[in-house]
Amino acid sequence: MTKWIRWSGLAGFITVVALIAAFWLLALGPLMKMAVEKYGSEAVGAQVNVADISLGFSPLSLTIKGVQVADKDAPMENMVSFDTAVATLEPFPLLLGKAIIPDVKLTGVAMGTARSHSGALSSGTAEKKIESAESDKNTSESADETVQSNESEADSKALPSADEILEREELLTMIYGEAFEGAYEQHKKSIDDAVANLPSEKALKNYEADLNRILKGKFKSLKDFKQRKKDLDALKAQFKKDKKAIADAKSAIKNGKSDLKQKWSQLKGAPKQDLANLKGKYTLDGAGASNLAALLFGDDAGGYAETALGYYEKVRPLLVDDEAKAEKQALKDKRLDGRFVHFETDRPLPDFWVKTLSFTMALPEFPKDSGSMGQVAVKVVDITHQQDVIDAPTRLWANGQNLKNMKSLKLTGVLEHRTSPGNDAFDMVVEGWNLSNIKLGLAGLKLVSSNTYVQANAAFSNGEMNVMGNGLFKQSKFASKDRTVVAKEMVAALKNVNQFTVTATAKGELTDPSIKLKSDLDNQLNKAFDKRMDQKQAELETKLKKKLNDKLLSYGGDYTDQLKELNLTEGSLGSKSKSLEKLGKSKLSSYEDQLKADAKAKADAKKAKAKAKAKADADKKKKELERKAKEKLKKLF
Amino acid sequence: MLSLLAKFLKVLNSDASPGQLSLGFAFALFVGLTPFFSLHNLIILFLVCVVRVNLSAFFLGSAVLALVAFAVDPISVSVGESLLNNPQLLQTWTDLYQSDVWRAFKFNHTLLLGSVVIAAILFVPMIIVSRLLISVYRDRLMKWFDKLKISKLVKASKFYKVYEKLGA
Repeated sequence: MTKWIRWSGLAGFITVVALIAAFWLLALGPLMKMAVEKYGSEAVGAQVNVADISLGFSPLSLTIKGVQVADKDAPMENMVSFDTAVATLEPFPLLLGKAIIPDVKLTGVAMGTARSHSGALSSGTAEKKIESAESDKNTSESADETVQSNESEADSKALPSADEILEREELLTMIYGEAFEGAYEQHKKSIDDAVANLPSEKALKNYEADLNRILKGKFKSLKDFKQRKKDLDALKAQFKKDKKAIADAKSAIKNGKSDLKQKWSQLKGAPKQDLANLKGKYTLDGAGASNLAALLFGDDAGGYAETALGYYEKVRPLLVDDEAKAEKQALKDKRLDGRFVHFETDRPLPDFWVKTLSFTMALPEFPKDSGSMGQVAVKVVDITHQQDVIDAPTRLWANGQNLKNMKSLKLTGVLEHRTSPGNDAFDMVVEGWNLSNIKLGLAGLKLVSSNTYVQANAAFSNGEMNVMGNGLFKQSKFASKDRTVVAKEMVAALKNVNQFTVTATAKGELTDPSIKLKSDLDNQLNKAFDKRMDQKQAELETKLKKKLNDKLLSYGGDYTDQLKELNLTEGSLGSKSKSLEKLGKSKLSSYEDQLKADAKAKADAKKAKAKAKAKADADKKKKELERKAKEKLKKLF
Repeated sequence: MLSLLAKFLKVLNSDASPGQLSLGFAFALFVGLTPFFSLHNLIILFLVCVVRVNLSAFFLGSAVLALVAFAVDPISVSVGESLLNNPQLLQTWTDLYQSDVWRAFKFNHTLLLGSVVIAAILFVPMIIVSRLLISVYRDRLMKWFDKLKISKLVKASKFYKVYEKLGA
C-alpha cells in the first residue's frame, strides 16, 4: 500500500499550500486596502482613501483606519469619513468568497469634512457611475426651484418686472406705433413728391413779369397781338398745370393729416389700453396668501430637501441596483455559468452582509455657525445587496444624544429591496426643538424663538417620492428689522400668533417633485400680504406706464411739430393758389378794340381841343367886349 | 536549461505504468470538467501529489478535458439543475446546506454539482478504457511510431539525448 504513496509529493503539496497561505496572510492587508480603494471608488464615483487595513486573528477581525470617501459633487470635501472601523469576520464564509460581518463599529464619523487633496476620479470607470447617477441628480435643485424662497423671488414669480412684461407681451402701443410710423413715411413721400411739382415764388414772379409784358403796352401790329395772345395762352396752360399740382399737393396733405391724426389718436390711447390689459392679466387675485408659507419657509424647506435627498441618492445605489441586478441575472441565465440554488437555512450567506453597523456622529449645525446640535447614535442592520438571500430588509435607527436645544430626535428607516421595485421608507420625530433667530423668506422676518415639534415621513419607490412633514411651532415670536409697510404690518399681525403649523409635501419623480407648503399662518396674515402685493402692483403699474409712454414717443416723436409743418405747407399752397388764380383771370384785349379805342381817344382829344379853343376864343371875345365896354364907359365918364 | 527540463520530465514520467497513467487521466476528469477554483479540486490535487499517479498524464488529460468541458457544460448544468430541484432530494440538500463544510464545496451550484457527478460517473470507466488503450498502444502502436520519420527526428535532437542520459 505504501508503495502507492509519494512522500515527496505530500511534502511538496504541504509546502506549496503553506507558502500560499503565508503569502495571503501577509499580503491580505495591502490587497484589501487596494481592493477597498479601487472598488469603493468605482461604487461612489469619487476617491476612497484608506490609511491602513490590518487583520486580527483572535477573534478574526479587520481594522480599517483613516477612511475618507470623497463627495463626487464637491471633490474637496468628504461625503463621509471615519477614524477607525473594527469589523469582526466569520472565517468560514470567507473561504466561500462571502464577506459576512457580524458587527462593525465606527468611530470618529463625520460628514462634509475638508480634504487635503481633490477626491475627483480621473478614470473612465468613474464616469460610468456618474452617468448612471446623473438621471437621479439635482433633485433638490429642481425642488428648490419650485419653492418660492424669498421676497424678490416671490414677487418676480407673482409679478414679473416691467421689462419682462413688455418683452413677452404683444402690446397695442407697439402695433399702433409701427402702423403710425409706416403711415407717416408713406404720406411724407407723397407730400414731398407733390410739393416738388409746385411752382416756386420765383416762378410766380416770372409769371407776373411775363403777364405784364404780354398785357401792358400797345400792340405794335396784328402779328404782335397774335404773338402776345399765344404767349398768354401758354402761360394760362402753365397756370392750369400748376393749379392741378397745388390741388394734388393739397389733397395729399389733407389725406396725410387726416390719416396721421386718426393713427395718432389710436396710438395715444394704446398705452392706456395696454396697461388695462396687463393689469387684468397680472393681477394677484387671492394668490398672495396661499404663497405665504412658501415665502416664509420655502428657503429652508428647499435646503433641507436638497441635503436629505442628496444623502439618500448617494447611499441608494450602493445598497441595491435593481436594474444591474436584473441585467446580471439575465446575462447569467444566457451564458450557462450555472447558478446557486438556495435552500432554507437559519444561516443565510449572501456575498456581502454587514449584520450590524453602529456609529455616532455629530448633527449638522442649524442655523449655520451656531455650533453642533449634539450627536446622533446610528444603528443599521442587515446591510446587503442580496436581501432576498437573508430574507430581511435593511433597517436603520438613529437617536439623538447630548442634544443641544432639542429634547429628542428619532429617525427610523426600512430599505426593502426583496421585491422589485424596492421601497424605502423613513420616519422622523423631533420633540422640543428650540429654534432661535431663523431667517424667514419675506420682509426681513425672523423667527426669534419657537418650541417646535416636527414629524415627517418619506417613501421612495421606483424613482418616485412621497414625503410629508408637519411642524408645530409653539410659543413663537417674530421680529423684523425692515421698515417697510409690509414688514411692519406682518410683525404686528404675527404678534398675536402664538402657535402655528406648517405642512410640507413633496410628491412625484425624484428628479422633479412637486413641493407644496401650507400653513395656518396664511389666514392670519392674508391682509398684510394683500396690502404688500397691492403696493408692488402699483409700483409695477407706474413703471409700465412710463415705459409705455417712452415707447409711444419713440414712435410718434413730436407729432405737433410735424402737424405744424403740414399746416404751413398747406397755408403756402393757399396763397400760391390765390396768386395763380388772380394771374389766370388776366385777359388780353383785341387789336380792333385797341384801334377803336385809339380813334375814340383821338376824337375825344380833338373834341376837347376844339372845346378848349372855342372856350379860349369866347373868353378872348368876352375880354375884348369887356375892354371895349370899359373904354366906352370911360369915355362917358 | 535543457537538462533542467529533461530532469523535470523524467521525474514526471517515472511513474509510467499503465495503471498510473490511467489513474492520471481519470483524476484529470475532475479538474478538466469542473470549475477549476473549487475546494474539491484541492482534494484532487492533494491526491494526485500524494498517490503515485502519472503527473504528465494528469496535466495532459486536464488540458484536453478542459477543452472538452465547453461542450459538456450545458449537460453538466442540466444535470445539476435536475438534481438540485429534485423534490425527493430536497431534504438531503437542505441538510447539507446547513453545514458550512458542504457549502464550502458549493454543492448547491448547478454547474459544479453536475460536472462533479459526470466526472464521478466516468471515473472508473476512464481508468478501464485508458488502461486498455495504453496497453494496446505499447504493444502495437509504439513500435510503428518508432519507425516514423518524426520519431527519428525527435530522437536525433539534443533534448532527447539529454533525456536519455538521465534515464541511463
